Amino acid sequence: MRLIIDVWRQDNPGDDGRYETHEVDDATPEMSLLELLDRLNFELVENAQEPVAFESDCREGICGACGITVDGDPHGPQQNTPSCHQRLASFSDGQRIRLEPLRSAAYPVIRDLIVDRSALDAIITAGGHVAIPGGSAPEADVLLLSHERAEHALDMAACIGCGACVAACPNGSAHLFVGSKLAQLSLLPTGKQERGKRARDMLAEMEQDFGPCSMYGECAKVCPAGIPLTAIAAVNKEGLRSFFRHKDD
Amino acid sequence: MRRNWRPPASGVDGVRVGGNLDPHAPEGPNETAWHRRKLDYQLVNPANRRKFKVIVVGTGLAGSGAAAALGELGYEVECFTFHDAPRRAHSVAAQGGINAARDDTADNDSLQRFVTDTVKGGDFRGREVDAFRLAEESMRVVDHLNAIGAPFAREYGGTLSTRSFGGVQVSRTFYARGQTGQQLQVASAQALQRQVKEGTVTLRVRHEMLDLIMDGERVGGVVMRNLISGAITAHTAHAVVLCTGGYGSIFFHSTLAKNSNASAVWRAAQHGAHFASPSFIQFHPTALPISSHWQSKTILMSESLRNDGRIWVPQKPGDERGGNDIPESERDYYLERKYPAFGNLTPRDVASRAATEQIRSGRGVGPLRNGVYLDFRDAIARLGRDTIAGRYGNLFDMYKHATGEDPYTVPMRIAPGAHFTMGGLWSDYDLMTSLPGLFVGGECGWGYHGANRLGANSLLSACVDGWFTLPHAVANHLAPQLGREPLKHDSREVRSALKRTRSRVDALMAIGGSHGPAHFHRLLGAILYEGCGVIRTEETLKTAITAIRDLREEFWRDLRVVGSGERLNQELELAGRVADYLELAELMCVDALDRQESCGAHFRAEHQRGGEAARDDKHWAFASAWQVAPDGGFVRHHEQLAFETVPLTTRDYT
Amino acid sequence: MSSSVGQRPKYKSSTGTFPGADEAALSMGHVRSGRVRKKPLVASWVLKVIMAMTGTVFALFVLVHMIGNLKVFTGAEHFNEYAHWLRTVLQPFLPYEGLLWILRIALIIALIGHVWSAALIWSRSRASRGRHRRPGMWIKNFTARTMPVTGIVLLGFITFHVLDLTTGTAGVAATTFQPATPDTAHAYENLVASMQRPAAAALYLVSMIALFLHLAHGLWTVVNDVGVTGPRVRAVAWVVGGLLALAIMLGNILIPVAVLAGVVS
Repeated sequence: MRLIIDVWRQDNPGDDGRYETHEVDDATPEMSLLELLDRLNFELVENAQEPVAFESDCREGICGACGITVDGDPHGPQQNTPSCHQRLASFSDGQRIRLEPLRSAAYPVIRDLIVDRSALDAIITAGGHVAIPGGSAPEADVLLLSHERAEHALDMAACIGCGACVAACPNGSAHLFVGSKLAQLSLLPTGKQERGKRARDMLAEMEQDFGPCSMYGECAKVCPAGIPLTAIAAVNKEGLRSFFRHKDD
Repeated sequence: MRRNWRPPASGVDGVRVGGNLDPHAPEGPNETAWHRRKLDYQLVNPANRRKFKVIVVGTGLAGSGAAAALGELGYEVECFTFHDAPRRAHSVAAQGGINAARDDTADNDSLQRFVTDTVKGGDFRGREVDAFRLAEESMRVVDHLNAIGAPFAREYGGTLSTRSFGGVQVSRTFYARGQTGQQLQVASAQALQRQVKEGTVTLRVRHEMLDLIMDGERVGGVVMRNLISGAITAHTAHAVVLCTGGYGSIFFHSTLAKNSNASAVWRAAQHGAHFASPSFIQFHPTALPISSHWQSKTILMSESLRNDGRIWVPQKPGDERGGNDIPESERDYYLERKYPAFGNLTPRDVASRAATEQIRSGRGVGPLRNGVYLDFRDAIARLGRDTIAGRYGNLFDMYKHATGEDPYTVPMRIAPGAHFTMGGLWSDYDLMTSLPGLFVGGECGWGYHGANRLGANSLLSACVDGWFTLPHAVANHLAPQLGREPLKHDSREVRSALKRTRSRVDALMAIGGSHGPAHFHRLLGAILYEGCGVIRTEETLKTAITAIRDLREEFWRDLRVVGSGERLNQELELAGRVADYLELAELMCVDALDRQESCGAHFRAEHQRGGEAARDDKHWAFASAWQVAPDGGFVRHHEQLAFETVPLTTRDYT
Repeated sequence: MSSSVGQRPKYKSSTGTFPGADEAALSMGHVRSGRVRKKPLVASWVLKVIMAMTGTVFALFVLVHMIGNLKVFTGAEHFNEYAHWLRTVLQPFLPYEGLLWILRIALIIALIGHVWSAALIWSRSRASRGRHRRPGMWIKNFTARTMPVTGIVLLGFITFHVLDLTTGTAGVAATTFQPATPDTAHAYENLVASMQRPAAAALYLVSMIALFLHLAHGLWTVVNDVGVTGPRVRAVAWVVGGLLALAIMLGNILIPVAVLAGVVS
């Protein structure tokens, strides 16, 4: 199949950026979006042109490194699917597609399709962890956790940190990312010991880069890990809880 | 340990036989060795710890664990990853689980049984005393990871749930759906980030290690390339810990991440660190077969699928029918037939070899006839679709995403894919390499897994190294160095390391040939699958060595790195990695050619008994640890392997 | 594998300047050095809670207001008595129109809180989104995306509505407007007179549709903003919120329709 690709090119964070048009005429429907870029880059390199820089690593949908906006949709046309698993079967022969980086004011472009998502890590650094020093952990079988709670925690912990939720949100909000982490850790016997403090720290950090949530629901549509919208409510739940209790746990 | 034993001469041209390596393991019984060693370790006074600087390269399970633990103890830690975030390290992609000898189920597991399984699973080419440490610390590891936020699967009563895995007959694998690696990795990365917040760890992302800085005989630091700006910088410390993962991506098509590479360990090897068993590469039996030219990798499907899926091929070679159209009587469930006791749960090497044999005999399935079926029809009929979906739902979804086929109705297709490297930098019992001050953790080391790693033991070894071994061993190394300063940045050693690194990068940029690095990588992968793959022979290996040398020569003549080195340049990154692969690949083949026996994943077709691997314990009961001589030749040192508690037996999974 | 001799070294030994990123950030592997905003006095999630609270006050008010208004179908006498009762209720504990003023003040405070929060949220959203906006969001998330629009329509309508039927300001109210007195109210007559003007009825109608859209999304947002995470409560709240919005719209629309149809006159 033939695809016409308008791809975002930007040399550095200070550059304005522009679209560049390329054609790939030997694409096949089972190829992934990233393999299409591999294909394009191979040809660019063979012709001594600079390849399109894009990020990817595991290509199994779990590392969260990849993320390309396709015709305005973070990750691509198929919902809840990371870029590495987006198949070209979603496009028709001869279609023109527009590839650009994940967009958010919090994600400056480093080069072409690569953005800096360190604002998300800053939130985790601020409070998305459990303060148990190595060697001091209590016996895991003594800390009973019901099957249901464990499974719910896993639902929330499935986040792969790709940051597409932010790029999908017309407000640039990170509620799905933050809410899933808050919800996960507050479900766990050790994690809930600093539940209030964690909410304060993470929300304060989130506030400075990301927008408020207006319940567009776009985040949950793109999330490759299928984090449900309830994660969003967890942000305000934990925020209100910590505000009214005024305690660290 | 046999006295007066001499290692066999090498049949490989240019290989010299070196000396015997001392593992520095504690004298006395292996069961209590770790306990005694910990008592022997020197300690550093808490007030003095901040005077020591430790560099940790890599933020996978081993790296983030080591950096977080050392930071927490009070050392000044500088940690690097080439990713944009610590969570992305490839530990994240492990699916099945983490083993622990907790004896949580009444199926008669024990510490000794864990050791026996690990040593035997590794076909007696690993270090038994290390396996004891692995078993002992496995109990704490699950507690610790659970406590720092990894939600393990739970029984309805609230206790930890377990499942069984290939190569063992007990249920000792703790898991979090099919995303155990992700959960452990994210929890460990969070623990690391907690130390970043505390100020004990400086975390630099998007930095790739290009060289070591040598301080005389010892390692004094690392040279890093900032992947955004291209700046090449020196970082010095009292100790350097490499947790840089395996080198399976040398095969181009592998289950590893696109950016996983061998540059850090290979650079160490070039500085004289011994490289153990480079040819011991595990081919995962449940990877997805390659079905098109641009397919970038062989996606891994968890081995846990083999708990309920049945593996089969058509009895008739070249059968054109679809999987569901082949009647029961014309299917060959070859693993169940050949290995009735273990059936579909035979260890990975056995399963991969059996699949390769079936594919080579023309019974392969799929468009390119390069896979075998993994069928859930019977399991769905027996347990119901919901139960199967509960166990493997996300794996099935992943398969569907990747292939467009629905495994609930059509049998999955799987094929062996390069996966885990049991080989790596040789280290002693304290995880220190043959270069003083240079430690290894996780897959970039060797030791536990011998010639074949058991499923769910890799997450364990990375966690044990990172959280509960390196913090003790590194401290012991640091203690006598009190008062010594790391190298100054304007010292001769640092300047020469920077110069060396720059000229290497310049050399890559200056070739000005006609093909990008991916071209050479792809060719190298094809050579290795053919020559040093699941089944090796003297002929394939010799052919491969010649081909690798030719390709390397062509690479340095015809490589083209477009763009500039002064900013983000993924071509340059890949070029450096492929340059290193082209050297390591030769050593892999030399090691495989040199070892005149079959053991574990290393299957030499010349050495088999009735189709099964034939070990030669009389001559080859040692680990080869290779030294790269300055002239480019290889010296084979050896560490004799003694087995105190696990009698040397032939692995028998029938 | 030798390095090329005589070539000018291409690399700087320390982190050099790099367009668009500062050196400190770059040395950590980031290009992000500044923040989108300084830590604000009131966090966005708190603003959302304020909007949820004040929005709920309005939702309850329009519900009660609608129920009261439906008394118009019981005839002029009843309706005017109700209007009069609202002014004299709890006398002598409260002065004339006491309760009404308490309600009015509460509503004004809620309005200020609601609009102030909305404005801040709107501007922060734009700042966080950056200059690249996703296309097609208007259609995909119509109710959510049009909250500011329906909100402004409602603000305009409230102004008109107060001028029309509370203060009876000339030029806005019907020419026959009679203000309430301590003895009697003329709410029925005023309402009928106002609604008999097709333009007023049309504005009323459009505003009620805007109210529906605003409430439908607003009430669902309230559920999230107050942190309801239970799936059952969320499902029930989603349905109840939608039904409430629908009921309020239909109930209110019934009045001008009835006036224009001559059922109420």
